[in-house]
Order: sequence, then structure tokens, then C-alpha cells
Amino acid sequence: MRFNTIIEPFRIKTVEPIRQTTVSQRRAAIEKAHYNVFLLPARDVLIDLLTDSGTGAMSVYQWAGMMKGDESYAGARSFDAFESAVRDITGFSHVIPTHQGRAAEHILFHTVVRKGDIVPNNTHFDTTRANVEDAGGIPLDLPTREGKRAQSSDPFKGNMDVDALERTLEQHGERVPLVMITVTNNSEGGQPVSLENVRDVSAVCRRYGVPLFIDACRFAENAWLNKSREAHLATRSARSIAQEMFSLADGCTMSAKKDGMANIGGFLAMNNGALASRCRTRLVLTEGFPTYGGLAGYDLEAIAVGLNEALDEDYLRYRIRSIEYLGEKLLAAGVPIVTPTGGHALYLDARRMLAHVPQSEYPAWALSLVLYVEGGVRAAEIGSVMFGRKQNGIERFSELELVRLAFPRRVYTQSHVDYVAEVVCYVNSIASRIRGVRITEAPSVLRHFTARLEPIAGQLLAPGPTSSASTMP
Amino acid sequence: MTHRSWAEPWRIKMVEPLRMTTRAERESAIARAGYNTFLLDADDVYIDLLTDSGTSAMSDRQWAGIMLGDEAYAGSRNFLNLQNAVREYYGFEHVIPTHQGRGAEHILSQILIEHGDHVPGNMYFTTTRAHQELAGAAFHDVIVDEAHDPASEYPFKGNVDLAKLDALVSKVGANRIPYISVAATVNLAGGQPISLQNLRAVREYTRERGILVILDAARAVENAWFIQQREPGHSRYSIEFLLKEMCKQADGMTMSAKKDSLANIGGWLALRDDALADAARNLVVLYEGLHTYGGLAGRDMEAIAIGIQESVHEDHIRSRIGQVMYLGNKLIDAGIPVVKPIGGHAVFLDAAAMLPHIPRPEFPAQALAAALYVESGIRSMERGAVSAGRDENGENRYPSLELVRLTVPRRVYTQAHMDVVAESVIEIASMRESVAGLQFTYEPKHLRFFQARFRPVAVQAEHESAHQSMAVSPR
Repeated sequence: MRFNTIIEPFRIKTVEPIRQTTVSQRRAAIEKAHYNVFLLPARDVLIDLLTDSGTGAMSVYQWAGMMKGDESYAGARSFDAFESAVRDITGFSHVIPTHQGRAAEHILFHTVVRKGDIVPNNTHFDTTRANVEDAGGIPLDLPTREGKRAQSSDPFKGNMDVDALERTLEQHGERVPLVMITVTNNSEGGQPVSLENVRDVSAVCRRYGVPLFIDACRFAENAWLNKSREAHLATRSARSIAQEMFSLADGCTMSAKKDGMANIGGFLAMNNGALASRCRTRLVLTEGFPTYGGLAGYDLEAIAVGLNEALDEDYLRYRIRSIEYLGEKLLAAGVPIVTPTGGHALYLDARRMLAHVPQSEYPAWALSLVLYVEGGVRAAEIGSVMFGRKQNGIERFSELELVRLAFPRRVYTQSHVDYVAEVVCYVNSIASRIRGVRITEAPSVLRHFTARLEPIAGQLLAPGPTSSASTMP
Repeated sequence: MTHRSWAEPWRIKMVEPLRMTTRAERESAIARAGYNTFLLDADDVYIDLLTDSGTSAMSDRQWAGIMLGDEAYAGSRNFLNLQNAVREYYGFEHVIPTHQGRGAEHILSQILIEHGDHVPGNMYFTTTRAHQELAGAAFHDVIVDEAHDPASEYPFKGNVDLAKLDALVSKVGANRIPYISVAATVNLAGGQPISLQNLRAVREYTRERGILVILDAARAVENAWFIQQREPGHSRYSIEFLLKEMCKQADGMTMSAKKDSLANIGGWLALRDDALADAARNLVVLYEGLHTYGGLAGRDMEAIAIGIQESVHEDHIRSRIGQVMYLGNKLIDAGIPVVKPIGGHAVFLDAAAMLPHIPRPEFPAQALAAALYVESGIRSMERGAVSAGRDENGENRYPSLELVRLTVPRRVYTQAHMDVVAESVIEIASMRESVAGLQFTYEPKHLRFFQARFRPVAVQAEHESAHQSMAVSPR
């Protein structure tokens, strides 16, 4: 190739102004939000990297699809377009739309999980874990040892530990209604799962007669990372890699807000017709009729188009490259991050960055607050507030304390990314002044969304050597 | 002067072509759909009166709002606009968005009901009762008797019979009744309103006994219009005022924004009590989405916020209900048995009266809906024994009303479309003898009407030979 710069394979059609705020405005805003970035009004955020879920920019073709939406309650042609797009990529014969990914999880687990059942996963994401538990099941994470090491450079840190899965099925096979594998592995740093690993997991599942479901939120990014990291897959298309991965499974859950390139929506798909019919029975109760599943017709159209756009290789190359670009900048500045950079987000390693803040004072959470106050950047903690929990009054902490900078698809430009790099580097330079936080109020389930916290020392930053009010250089 | 015409207070900005089909195409389409109009492809339908839920035409202002969607995961400005609109027009402090009405019903039932509780309501609704039962409660119908008589002209057939409510309280005790579910209007009674006076009486009665009042407000704006038109002394009040006054009598509301609020998707749960709202927010995260989007795109919340404002305009609601009245009066003039008075969102055909030769176990309303489709391409919905499902002993429930609902989407069809509908129904009535009953070939466990499949009951031997597979024998 003659040129090294990977440009966006699109130009901008519609823009949305963002609002500048000052450090003192943000300090007031975060206090009002009880030191939880989930409770911040979006208008007080400059660069919103809280999640890549539902925050993407749709294409002109998706917007055209929106205008074609058939809002008929039953049998809408928009459902036909949706169903055939999903079938074409996944190969699953039964396609059940849901309003978003967690609803697909809710329906699947409430249909197959009995009290005390075990659901193995490479690593459960927050809502997946909560829905398994809500259905009476026990979520069991089986990541590989490499996956738990933030600094490991293994190319497929998202893999499932196949030996551990085999042991689980040998001992508790009859209590395992299904095995799930999450691609890419969000909780372990957006790391990919190799096609080979899915094949091995599938073989073990088939040997024990247990169905395998894929949590497919980022299936296209996972396919691309396979293509770019496995020499023998380099000549294959991302689409064919994705199709092969789905062919190894019996079904999937999907949040179309990720690699469906949509702002809302999801689905559940599978080959087992009897199971699909039980799932539809639950669907009409909690979601909607089987040909709309709680989505408007226009959303079904947007997803049908988006699923195919997500597999466009120019798009995927740009998408993965933008994360890598930020990663290179931060590594060069000595900022501790999870390597290699993954699919949808860059993960800061708060345990290394804030070695002086003990886990009981939630270093990753504190870091996310300082990123907001100093630079107006909103990012999510993936650490002990999200995954920790009290058992018999003793708090169990998460293995990793990460801050996730998740990139909405097709939304921010290279200069936005440069700005984020400056903010992170600056915060890294004052890391020793960052102080921990404590929880003052939290619900028992999915506490990070609505928990209230406060800085233990009364403020987030200890006074600096030069001035007490910290500002960007 | 009163306006005699219900002419639309808007003009058309965007259109969606319809497809015409032949009778032969429709015959094979309904057979493929198992004689269940829910299972027809929308492309095979000419005029779609299946439901008014999510099928409305949005305004240019709503579409502009769609472009203003703020898709931030948390704290989207569209949520603030929705919250403000609900607070302003419905008057509840805590607003929790959900992907649609049944999402709100699901959460409400889970937080309020304990196993073995009893929930009274002014007539059942399919998804509402299913959620109450899923949470472990038994439903009790406490609507006035007039609601069960399709010919009664009583102006407020949605009213709660306080004597029935009192009898239930005496029997099971107020402490086993977490709330009364009050629908405004009452869908399955024929879109019939509840009076403000009755709602106030329910409030008084329940307040003393610690029973909450939860308003199913999907069509509360339409209900407010009926109060303004029919309740003595209320004609001088605005729709906005009456809506707020209705909501004041309740502790909470569930809402499908796909009805009154003119949106294609969305709903909310609204509450006054802080602790209840906290409990609801903890569940919304699990089932729906973070409490500032509840499973909706930001743009959808914006469309709803604007839709709420449009829904309370007097011109809009007069035209909306005026169109339904127009269709209903045409049918009444032609002697078609319909539920009277005409309700807010639909005209309900009395299938039992229209097809007396089909016994109830052969589902006359389901058969009428299938026949109406075959004859004219109009899709309607059964609201009778198939929708009512089976009781705890596994027996078919036979509600007193065996109806076919012709539901009018908001701002979608014209007066000429309504004329075609009236002509088609009148034609079916003239050939009623040829409509045959139906029997199940597939019956799902929950909410069976959605996905059930049927076949025509074999007609008399002499007709049987050639046309066994048709709902309607050829003319």
C-alpha cells in the first residue's frame, strides 16, 4: 500500500453539536451526579466514551431504511428484511427480535435455566450475569489464564478455557442447560476469541450434548481480529469467518446496538424449533409480537442494513485501527493499558496507574471520575463497582480494575481521539494525586448504574505541588 | 357552535403505497396464516385495522424530533424532554421509560404483587392480566354490568362497580390487594370510558383501605374527551385539565406510548412514591435498559415527548374520535350489530349477534375476522373467547363479549378508506350464512390469540366436498 493513513470510509452527512464545559462546571456536575458518571446528564459531557452500545452514527442507507419502516403490528415487511439479514449472516433458522440484547438474554435464560443450573461463559458481561442470576442460575466464568493478565500480549485473550469447560461438563453436565461464549470478550478488555477456540468449545459441547450459544454483540469485530491476527485466515472475508463461527453454535443472543450499527434493538436466534417456540411464548409477554419483538418497524430496517455494513472490511479496518491509534499514543506516553488493544474500546489499567489506591477504594471508578472532571471525557469503570459484590458482608473484588474508553461507531474523528489522548496523558501525569471513593448507597443488582459514591478524602484530587485547582496544561 | 365535521386538523406530508390483492390471493394467504389475522403478512393486507398500537403516522414535528435523538447511554436530553412532558401533562413525579407498555406492566407487577395477591380491574386486558398472573396474583373483574352488554347505551361503561370491589375486599381482605388496575378507556369493553366521578369514588374507597390505584393510561386522552363530551358539568374543561384530573386520582400509571402518544414504539411507568420508583428503576435496568432510556433509542423518547403535546390538542382528539364515530354510525345505520356507544379507538362488531349460526366453541369472532379479510383485504382482530384464553382448570373462557375489533390507527386512513370498511362489513353481513366456524390446530399456552392456528370446522356434508379448506365458501 502506498499510503499509511487509514481514513474513515465515509464522509459526514449530519452533525450534532457538542458542548464545552469548564473544570469547575464539571466538578459541580459530578458532585450532583453522586460521583457516578452514569448519572451525569449527557449535555454536560464533551466526549462520551461511556459505551459503544447504541451510540453509533447510522448511515444514509440506514436512515433511508428508517423512512421505509412498515409499522404493521404483525407480519410487517420490515421484519422480512430483518429476518433475512440475520439468517444470511448467522445461518440460524429461527430469528426472534427483541428491544435490545438484555431482553434476548432474559428470554433465553428464563426459558432454559432451572434453579441451581450452571451457565459457563468465557466471561459474562454485567447484564448477562444478572439475567442468569435472575433466572435462578449460577454464572460461571471460564477465561484462559492469559485473559486475566492485563499485560499479556496473547492475540486471543478472549478465549474460553476449554479444559476447564470439559471438567465442568464432566462434573455437572446435567446442570448445564447451555454454554455461552462472548465475542469479543468485553469484560476482559474487548479481546477476541479465536475461531479455533470456538471450534474446540463447540466440539466439547457437542460431545456432552449441551447447546452452545454465542453472545454475538461484536461478532464482526471478532471476525476482523481473527482475520488480521491469524495468518491462515488472512485471505478469508470477515463475513465468511463470522458465518463459520455461527455455524459452530446452536444459537446466539445479540445486541444490535453494537455490531448491528443501530441505536436500539437486538435478537435471539437458534436452530431448535421447539426451543424457539417456547422463547416466543415468553417474548409476547415481555417484549412484543414475534414479528416486531418490541421494536418499531423502522428499527428492524435500520438493523437489517446495519448488520451488513458492520461486515464491510474498509469499515472494520478503520474501526479497529482507531482504537489501535489511541493505544499507540498512550503506550508511547507510558500510560498503562490492556494490550493488545481490542475491538471496541481501549482499557486503562487502573491498578497499575493508581497503585496507591487500594481496591477497597475503587481505583478504576476514581480514575473515571477524574477523566471526566479534567477533560470532560466520560468513560466506564469495569472493575469492582461493576463486578464486585458483598458475600456475607465481605466484599469480593474484581480481578481487573479497568476504565473502558469505548468508541461509538463512526461518531468521533481523529482530532477527537487526539484530544482524548491528551486528557489521558495529563491525568496519568497527576495520577499520584488521585484519591479513592466509597459507596454510600447501592442497589443489590447491577449496582454500578445507579450507585451513589463520594470521595473518601472529601475531594478527588489531593492538592498539587503548584496550585490546588488542577487545570489542563 | 359545535363542529359537525371531524375534518383532519393536518394535511398529508408523506405517503406509503398500499398493495391491492385478489380474492384468490387472500384465500390462500389466510389459509397460510392458519385463519389468524395476526399471522398474515402485512403486504397482503389492504386496510390494516388490526390495532391502533404503534401504527400511527407521526407528524413532521415528531420526525424532526427523531433527527434530534441524543443516543447517549446515560442522561440523554431526550429523556429529560420526555420526563418533562409526562410531568406536565400526566403529573407524575417519577418517570421510567420502557420499550413499550407491556414492559411497564411487567415491572409494575413484579414490584407490587406477592404470590397469592388479588388484583381487581375494570375488565381484563390480555397482556395486563398475563403479567399479574405471572407475578402470582389472581385477577378480578369489577367493571359495571353494563360493560358486558353490547347493546347498552350507558355513557360510562368503563366505570368500576364499587359494590363488586367492596365484595372482593370483604372476601380476601384489603391487605391482599396491592392495587386496583383502572383502564381508561377500557379496550375490551369496546373502548369505553370511565367517568371522573367514578374515578374519584374509586380513589376515595381505596385510600381508606391502603389500596393503590394504577391507571392504565394508554388511551386516557381519549377518555378525557369522553368526559368532556358526556359527563355533566365537564364540557367547559380542557382536555389537558381533565387528563391531569384523572391522573390525580391515581398513585401510578402504566403507559403504552404507541396509543395516545402517537409514537411507533415506547412506553413508561410513572409513580409518585420515591421508594416504589427506586424499586422499579432497579428492575428496569435488568429487563429494559438504564433508567434514562429504558430500552428506547433517544430519538424515540423525543418523538413521544412531542406526541404527548400533540395528543392533548382539542382539534386532534375531536378528529381522532370523530373518524371512529363516522365509521361506527355508518354501520349502525346499516343495522350492523356493534358495541354501543361507539368507543374511542375502534368499532367493535358483535360477532355473536352477527353470526348466530356459529356456536361459541367455534369462535364466531375469529371466523368473522378471517372472512372479512378474505372478502375485502381488511385486517381486524378477534377480541372474544380466543383472546380470553383458558381458566385455571384449563377450560375455555367465554367472555360475554364476542367481538371483532376494527381498530383505527391515528392519522393514517382517510374518510374514503372508512367508507370501504363500512361497505365491506355490510357486505359480509348480507352473506353471513356462508361464514363457517373454526377450530384450533395449534394453541400456545400464553396469550394464545397471537400465534394460534385454526382450520374451518367441516361444514354440512353437501358443502364439504369442494371447499373444506376455506373460511368462507364462495359466493
